[in-house]
This record gives sequence, structure tokens and C-alpha cells, in this order.
Amino acid sequence: MNQLVVQTKNLNFSYSKNKKDIEDLELKVPKGSIYGFLGPNGSGKSTTIRLILGLLKKNSGTVALFGELFNGQSRLKVLNKVGGLIENPSLYEHLNAIDNLKISANYRQNISSSRIFEVLEIVNLTNAKNKRVKEYSLGMKQRLGLAISLLSNPELIILDEPTNGLDPKGIIEMRTLIKDLNKKFGTTIFISSHLLSEIEKTCTHVGIIRNGKMLYQDTVASLKESKGTNIKLEIEVDKPIEGMSALKNLKMENISLLDGFIQIEVKSKNEITNVIDVLRTERINIYQVSIKNNLEELFLSLTEN
Amino acid sequence: MSTILYYTASLKNELIKLKRTFAFWLTIISAVLFPILFIVAYIFERETLVPAAGINPWEKFMVTQIENSTPFFIPMFIVLITSLIMQIEHKYLGIKHLFTLPVPKSSIYFGKLSIVILAIMVTYLYYYIAILLSGVLLGFVYQDLGFLNFSPEHLRYIKMLITSFVASFGIIGIQFWLSFRFKNFVIPLGFGMFLAIIGIIVSQAPQQSIYFPYSFSVLSVSLGEKMPLIFGISSVTIFSIVCFLITSVFGYLNIKKLNIK
Repeated sequence: MNQLVVQTKNLNFSYSKNKKDIEDLELKVPKGSIYGFLGPNGSGKSTTIRLILGLLKKNSGTVALFGELFNGQSRLKVLNKVGGLIENPSLYEHLNAIDNLKISANYRQNISSSRIFEVLEIVNLTNAKNKRVKEYSLGMKQRLGLAISLLSNPELIILDEPTNGLDPKGIIEMRTLIKDLNKKFGTTIFISSHLLSEIEKTCTHVGIIRNGKMLYQDTVASLKESKGTNIKLEIEVDKPIEGMSALKNLKMENISLLDGFIQIEVKSKNEITNVIDVLRTERINIYQVSIKNNLEELFLSLTEN
Repeated sequence: MSTILYYTASLKNELIKLKRTFAFWLTIISAVLFPILFIVAYIFERETLVPAAGINPWEKFMVTQIENSTPFFIPMFIVLITSLIMQIEHKYLGIKHLFTLPVPKSSIYFGKLSIVILAIMVTYLYYYIAILLSGVLLGFVYQDLGFLNFSPEHLRYIKMLITSFVASFGIIGIQFWLSFRFKNFVIPLGFGMFLAIIGIIVSQAPQQSIYFPYSFSVLSVSLGEKMPLIFGISSVTIFSIVCFLITSVFGYLNIKKLNIK
């Protein structure tokens, strides 16, 4: 896990002279990880990906892939081990899925025609293989884009907002697919997203970027630990006002009412039972108790201001 | 992997991409356009066009057609076909995908340029076949036109078409670069069409326009015997090839360094 598949040092880039779009970015993507690259829209995620793949010329700094500096000499060798899906997939919509895959396979040269059918199977598009891409839904296009990036069995797959525009079913399928690839083949996967929940469910590592600067980079587990010890609860009851006054006697922190739900912070999971007991003693009916995701707030506090 | 393999893979792919595109149909439409107009003209003007005894009707039919259509039409056709072929890539965001594949950028640029040249060559071929067929068809229907009694001097007309084709090379280099460089279809198309029209106008002053690539197509025909020669070769041919080589190399170097957004 120590070997870094992607590493950038002091990476700087500007589209215009008066604004730095990427500033001293130090990206470290360990081998075998699913790395979530998180940031609000316009924070520089796609720009960073373009810099990693050599689509943009960096102003200064270095990009190394598989421990090798990315430059004119190493370009072909390095790109051979990478599959990418950058923003909207580049698909020739007047052609069918097979032709689209054939084009990428021809460019890459060493890909057998059976592999084309294999990747179609992996992304579940075998039934639509002869349909023109024009007739595909957004989710199908996204999956075909992924199939193209899988063609060469790459060691690193870079996916820029892969769940953009997908419906919930599509998102779950994509998530499962990403995890499977990582588990079965040990493929390192680099995903950019502006959705924390997405990264949290899929990734092992996370990097948070804002205004072209890296704000946080570590494992997802460490991020969760850093969010503080208190657990935030959200409780739905039939009589919220009475519930609030009953709970105030418990001397717990930060009790409030939000949209008819009681919000309360407890120090440990054991205290959740105490809260429920107090409410039940007052004959207040409880409909649901849920633990709120504090990561969301952490993400907002990191990326706002 | 050798450069040749990359280049042939690129060519193969460009052919797949042309499937079911308007660019593909444009080669056929452009090729049959003038022969159809000539059939119509010959039908209506038949009485004045019946040749005197012993005169080969193909000579007038072929020369009038080639000299009056290709010089003006070919520059515009090149502007259009080049933009259309590159639009396949721009429309589907292909460049960013192609440039992240383990393929030299040169094989992509020159592979595509080769396909543009091939499409133009094929159009010339279709055009020649279409003229011949239209002559034969007229000969069948109107025996007095005499097309079936003589055979055309193929070598002479093919030479005329090759001269016209080579004179267009300069524009191919420029237009291909522009079409690759700018995603917006309007830029290469507007620029090219404007210069193609200017080229036709300024070709009236051959001494100056002999350095203007968009006039070469007209000059290659209009100058005839007066064409200045360089080492015994038509100067328009030489200038056109030099313009093509320079713009192709500089175009590639420019594209290679381009930021793909």
C-alpha cells in the first residue's frame, strides 16, 4: 500500500494570468486504493485530472505516475497502464457500442476482440451492444465510457464525476462496479466527485480540494475519526415540544428542534438508550432515531469560507 | 510499437468514424453534382452541342466541365469536408480521449490529415467516374451527341484533375490545422469560405495571387501556358506543396502543445 500510483509535487497551473487554478497541489494516491477526490464545483478537480493525464501543460511542479515522472518520453509507457473517463465520456454517438470499443482497442493495439465483449458484460451493456450510442441513456453512456477505460485492464482508472447524471440505481451499480474492480483486480481507482456521501461509501482514501488547494488528504477512516467524539442524533416523535422539555433535564449538549425533529448530541452510543428511555417515560411515541452524518458538516466547514 | 503500426491503427479508426456521417455522403454528393448539371444542360442545349463529323465530343464535355467546376468548387469543398471530418471529433469530445490514450499525438494528427486527403482523392475519383457515366448515358439516350462513337483521352483529363488536386494541397494544410485547433465549426468554415471567395476574386491578378494558396486552384487552370515554372514544374504546384508541408508541420507542433480543456 506504500507505493504511490499518482504523486504530484508543487503542482501549479493557471488558465489565466491573474488567478491560480491549481496551487502547490500535493496529491498522493496509494496503490490499490480507491481514492476519492472531493471538492465543490469549480474547485479544480477536473483541471487536476487533466494535468495528471497531460492534457494541460503545468506551470510548475511534477506529476509522477507509477513512480515515473510523466513527460514526453514516459507518456506512452505510463498511459498504457491508465484508463480514464473524464467528465462526459467521449463517445462517437453515430456508432454503436462495439464500434466505439473497437476504436479504442485499435488505438491500444494489444486488445483481443473477446475483451470487447468481456467489458460490455462487465458494465452490463451486452444487450445494447448493437444500438447506436445516440439512443443510449446518460447512465448507459457513462457505463460505456467506463467499459472503454477498462479495455486494457489498466492498473489505474481515473474517473471524473462517474455518477454525474445517473439515477439512484445507476449510482449503486457504478459504486458496486468500482468496488468489485478494486477488490478482484487490485485496480487503483481515482474518483473525483462533489458528493461526500458518494466518496464516503466507496473510497478508502480521500483528498479534499478547494480553490485549487488541497485542504485534507488521508484515509476515509481518519477523516471520520477527526470529526469529533459526539454523536448527533435526529429523533422523530409525536410531541416534539414535550420531548424537548423532557430531554432538557438530561443536561445533554446542543438540544434543538429542526423541521419538527429533535436534534441532540450524545457522547456515546450507550446514551442513545437513555434518551429513548426518558422519552418513553413521558409516554412520547418515537417514530425514528437516526445518527446524523457529521462528515457532511465537516466537509462544508472545510470547503466553505 | 512502431510508428507505422500506430499510424495504420489511426487510419483504420478514422474510417470507422466516417461511417454514417454527412462527411461520407458529401464526397458522393459533391462528385455527382456537376455531372448531373451537365446532363441537364446537354439535354436542353442538345441541338447546339451535336459535334461536327469526326470531332470527339468527349473533349468539349470533359474540358468544359473540369475547367468550369473544379477551380471554384474544390476550395469550398475542402473547407467543408475538413471541418466536417474534424467535427466528428469535436462534437463527441474525442480529442481529450484520444490524447489520453497511449498513442503518439503525431499518429492522431497525421492519421486524420491522411483521411481528409483520402476523402478528397476519393471525391475526385467518384467525380471522374460520374463524368464518364454521364457522358455514356447521354450517348445512349441521344446517339447524335456521339459519345459512344469515340473514347475519351483518359490520360489528359486525369492529368488535369491531378493538377487541380495538387494545387489544393496548400488549403488542406491550413484548413485542417484550423479545424483541429478550433472546436467551433464556424471559425474554420467562415474563415475558409471567406478566403476561398477572396481567392477567386484576386486570381484576376495572377502576379500577386500566385502566392495566395486560396487562389491556386483557379490559377492552376486559368494561367494555362502562362504558368511560371520553377525547375520546370508549375510554380502553383510547388507553392501549394510547400504551403501544405509548412502548415502541416506547424499545425502539428501547435496541436501537440495545446491545452485540451
